[in-house]
Amino acid sequence: MSDRIAMLTKSFAPSCLIALLLVGGFWVGPYPQYVIAFTMTSIVAGAGLAMLVGYARCITLASGAMLAIGAYSSALLALNGVPFLWALLAAVAFGLVAGLLLGVPSVRFRSHNLAMVTLVFQAVVILLIREFKTLTGGAEGLRTLNPNVFGISISSDVQYLVLIALAAIAVLPLISGLLLGAFGKNLRALASNEVGSRAFGISVEKHLIVAFVISSGALAFAGALNAPRQRIIDPDSFGIILSIFSLAGPIVGGLGSLWGGIVGAATMRLLPEFLRPVADYTELVLSSMVVLTIIFMPKGIVGTALSLVFGRKAVARTALTIRSTSAATPAIRPSQSETALVVENLSVSYGAVKAVDDVSIAIPAGSIFGLMGPNGAGKTTLLNAVSGFVTPRQGGASLFGKPLLKMPIHHRIGNGVSRTFQQVAIFPTLSCRDNVIIGLGHNSIPAVLARSVADVLSTRRSQEEARQANEALESVGLREFADLPAKLLSLGNQRRLEIARAIVSRPKLILLDEPVSGVSDEEIETIAKLLRRLNRELGVTMMIVEHNISFLLSLSDYVTVLGQGRVLAQGTPDVVVRSQEVRHAYFGEERSA
Amino acid sequence: MIMSIARRFALISALGLFLGGSVAANEQGVTSNEIIVGALGPLTGATAFMGAPGRDGIQLAVENINAAGGINGRKLKLVFEHAFTPAESVSAAKKLVEQDKVFVLLLASGSTGAAAAADYVRSVGVPTFNMFGTTSIIREPFAGNVFHGQVTDGPAQAKKFVQRIRTKADAGSKVGVLVGTYAFPQSTLKYLEPELKAAGLVPVVEQFDQGSRDFTAQLVSFVRQRVKAIAVLGSFSEAGFAIKQAPEKGLVDVTWVLDGSGVNDAMIPIIGSENTRNVIGFSNFPYFHAQADEPIKLFREMWAKRYGSPPPGRPNMYDTVSYGDTYIVAAAIKAAGSDLSWKTLIVAWNGLKDARPSQLGGVDVIFPESFTPRDHQGNKEMGDAVIKDGIWQVVR
Amino acid sequence: MSEFIMLLLGGLKFGAIYSLAAVGLIALHKATKVVNFAHGGLVMLGAFGAYLWIVELGYPYWLAYLIVPLIIGVFAATLEFTLLRPLRRADLFATITATIFLGIVLSEAYRMAYNVEILAVPVFWKGSPFFLGDVIVTRDQFWVSAGALIAGGISIAFFRYAPAGRSMRAMASNVRGAQLCGYSMDQMTGLAWFFAGVLAGLAGVFAAPSKGVSPELAVSIISAAFVAAVVGGFDSLLGAILGGLILGITETFAAAYVSSSAKGAVSFLLLFVVLLWRPEGLFPERAGRNV
Repeated sequence: MSDRIAMLTKSFAPSCLIALLLVGGFWVGPYPQYVIAFTMTSIVAGAGLAMLVGYARCITLASGAMLAIGAYSSALLALNGVPFLWALLAAVAFGLVAGLLLGVPSVRFRSHNLAMVTLVFQAVVILLIREFKTLTGGAEGLRTLNPNVFGISISSDVQYLVLIALAAIAVLPLISGLLLGAFGKNLRALASNEVGSRAFGISVEKHLIVAFVISSGALAFAGALNAPRQRIIDPDSFGIILSIFSLAGPIVGGLGSLWGGIVGAATMRLLPEFLRPVADYTELVLSSMVVLTIIFMPKGIVGTALSLVFGRKAVARTALTIRSTSAATPAIRPSQSETALVVENLSVSYGAVKAVDDVSIAIPAGSIFGLMGPNGAGKTTLLNAVSGFVTPRQGGASLFGKPLLKMPIHHRIGNGVSRTFQQVAIFPTLSCRDNVIIGLGHNSIPAVLARSVADVLSTRRSQEEARQANEALESVGLREFADLPAKLLSLGNQRRLEIARAIVSRPKLILLDEPVSGVSDEEIETIAKLLRRLNRELGVTMMIVEHNISFLLSLSDYVTVLGQGRVLAQGTPDVVVRSQEVRHAYFGEERSA
Repeated sequence: MIMSIARRFALISALGLFLGGSVAANEQGVTSNEIIVGALGPLTGATAFMGAPGRDGIQLAVENINAAGGINGRKLKLVFEHAFTPAESVSAAKKLVEQDKVFVLLLASGSTGAAAAADYVRSVGVPTFNMFGTTSIIREPFAGNVFHGQVTDGPAQAKKFVQRIRTKADAGSKVGVLVGTYAFPQSTLKYLEPELKAAGLVPVVEQFDQGSRDFTAQLVSFVRQRVKAIAVLGSFSEAGFAIKQAPEKGLVDVTWVLDGSGVNDAMIPIIGSENTRNVIGFSNFPYFHAQADEPIKLFREMWAKRYGSPPPGRPNMYDTVSYGDTYIVAAAIKAAGSDLSWKTLIVAWNGLKDARPSQLGGVDVIFPESFTPRDHQGNKEMGDAVIKDGIWQVVR
Repeated sequence: MSEFIMLLLGGLKFGAIYSLAAVGLIALHKATKVVNFAHGGLVMLGAFGAYLWIVELGYPYWLAYLIVPLIIGVFAATLEFTLLRPLRRADLFATITATIFLGIVLSEAYRMAYNVEILAVPVFWKGSPFFLGDVIVTRDQFWVSAGALIAGGISIAFFRYAPAGRSMRAMASNVRGAQLCGYSMDQMTGLAWFFAGVLAGLAGVFAAPSKGVSPELAVSIISAAFVAAVVGGFDSLLGAILGGLILGITETFAAAYVSSSAKGAVSFLLLFVVLLWRPEGLFPERAGRNV
């Protein structure tokens, strides 16, 4: 219950800020009220940008265009007699559609290319507004009307303040709820590690499109609310400079944080008021501030303030001893006679290089299957092909009879395939528990949105997810660190975290890519024991790629050795070790005739 | 229902504020020894060449008026706010009127900025002087508290434009119109095209984006159409680069006609002295800032004494016009006597006839201005401008 | 026909300027993986330097082509050394946003220092134009087009063959490896920024007569350079040159044959089409990608 109160408080906190500003606004003169009203709309815009820029780390230069779309659509509708609230809703709708139009072609790009595509959108929208003179008034601008709400004409600053406050209070919880819940966590996950996200069902493209859509809607909302007070809107008001300085909001406030977006946007809106005595220098001061923030205070205002207040958390170094998973979870023990994974004549080429050459393996259900070979043998490539990260030139693979290769990456978790990565692909800014929750794989967009609501309301469903994650953490010995950000863990513990994430969905097959690479000897022993225990208790089939031969041979039930993309030997460890092919590949021993 | 006194007070004052308590007062901005003059204009951004000189000109006039004893015993105090976009202009106007409680407002903004501010001042009633804006949105609908200074309105400028063009192009000839896609050129075009057609000229319109430096495509089109003259609706830098590029594209023996914003000495180095023969323009004021005439020479000395050695291109027309127009405002305030309120100021302003800076000890760098209750356009005179001896000069 | 050729040559001149600007941008990216949005600001400073040298100080024009780029190069290296060092370890997002705002800082600082709308710089090669039939080619047109392209070509050769250029490329592809071979990362990064600054300054000197010196120059140049770079292929110096020419020529023809206000849209549409259809650019250095 207290969880629910905590979550709801956090979701409504931004609205409470607006309410506070409103109350404060009653005691000041009309000009400050005017400024406060604009600050409120900038807070809504800031929340939207927190989603796209702060969480998803997308550089967008199209904010000006979205604000313009909101302003012009609501102004034009109002000029044609549509009551303001309907015009506002319509403006948001236009913003959402615009976000979709922008998002769909954009999300295949990253970093500077993404920025450029948004710049194209920005330039084209402004150009269209300027060209369609008869509709929009063109470069000379469009006069806006006072809003008409339920028959009252909103003309005084106080009336306007109340209107904006109510609108903002209504809309902010929608955005903050999404950010605090599963959707926000997934965004932060994909911003920090795309590969890990995809492996557990997060469709990066779809999440980004949703982020574009919602943030554009928020911006259009803000633009529509501002328009009546600006009296005249023209294309130049919504140009690239506005986009650039909107981008500054989340950066200055703090990335990865809703309050960062809010504080940053409010700061960028209010600073020019205080800089009035030196107005010539405003842009210079603002842009210098942003540069210095990025370089010397990268956590932004909110991030830095939080660090100072809460201090550095203890670095999580050693994990406790590992306890067994609770007996309450029934082990799905497939019969040994079934074959979990069948790979048939698989070939993968990089250009002219055959990384995997006509490889066939069969992994019995419930076994631990080792895959080894010298460098360049094709082990990781084979694993990548099975998990969907690489497309084979020919051949097939099936999991318990179901064909695998045609499935996109983010569907594999739903079909019982999970994996770990050679270079640890955890989500450093999320807590360990949140890392593992993503491992459950309920990451399709409808599911994510539903789970966000569930998280905010702290429903039984959301609590169940947390419980499962805790259990998985318990079984790898990381229960103590459930609330700590994953980046504080040592490498060995991060590898354990990956394992926890991989098992929480009770998959049928786990692919482990060099699970002890870079880990201390002691820790290697612990992880070996852990993997063996998980295999026995959960009955999950494991395929392990490793360079550490003793680790692999002691752990595996069966082993395949690859050399230059081809299978050199298969069988139980003791058989394979004696194989002449293998000894030749590893030690250069001459094969006997 | 028992309410504590405090709560009752809070409720009433909130209601009072809500029901629109007075935002700006008729007698604000005037104390026994001071009159607060507000002004706004762009100090940064693409039109900074207007706002910064605007501020400097107003400042110079205010200081000189104060040094000469003020107006009816009161000194002027200037509060200047930066404003570039329409939103910033409304914001600045609001702050000046409602927070700083100015008595009169000067707009040193062009087109959209001035238009937005004008919209606001119309609703509030503060006497406002539009010094630089030409677009119609500032001037329509007519408002009793909004006055316009040296710079004439769209239709008048268009007529003058055509008059200048006709001196070089006979009826029936094609006239190129090189127009920027941004606000004020588009507004001017609206008036110019019909005037051209009415004068029997055939307009060939080519557009360019603000800040363009390359006019190859437009010039080539003008060559193809064999235009006799080209009117440029844009800033002096854009006009300068177009004129400079023209011979490269084979466009020779064509007269370039520029409007008020195109005429600026800073364009002469751009086009090179060999190209100045074919460039003419018109002005809304009697002297360009580099001319040798006595009044403007005095002005330059005054400016240099106050602001130091001028950077290239300064003082420009915005310095002189804002300086001169500030004196007009001062003349109106003086005529209103010692009982100053918005009402008395407006009445006095409406009665100004041939007001000029020298009446208050200033230098006559502007045409005299007259107003009536129906007609708030102060100056209607326009001069012919040519480039002579390497500088722009008004031919009288 | 002569009209067509004049349009082509007109587009070529500005295209050559874009090409040189794009080469500087790409060179820095190849050497340090940084996408420097402040490059336009450096070009603007180069143009301003040309104004100071030629107009205010009155020194020989041809020297400006040597001195100004060197000064801008040193400035860029200093910027890197003092301000941008912490960004070396930062992610792409931080470097891109930092350079975007740094570009604005440069433009605004210039506007503060020299509050003039525009400064004019005379052309380098004065004299009557050449006539090829009906086609007019001014000396300035010829000089800028040829000069900028040759400078671009020399840069490419430098990066491919000169020891300093090769060491920068080594640094970019494998930092640890290059360090083990004795290269200092500090020195290499500083050198890379120096060369980017030199190229920017040179582009500025070439651009000054045709574009004038104003704060807006920074934005227009970085925009064009970026489009040129993406169109040509972001990691290809040759692509940068070709991209710039394509951009300049396409813009001019669009303005002439479609509509004069289409010019602004053209560069962006070109960018969009290339990104969607061939994101690695039209002339990439390596066809295809490695996994």
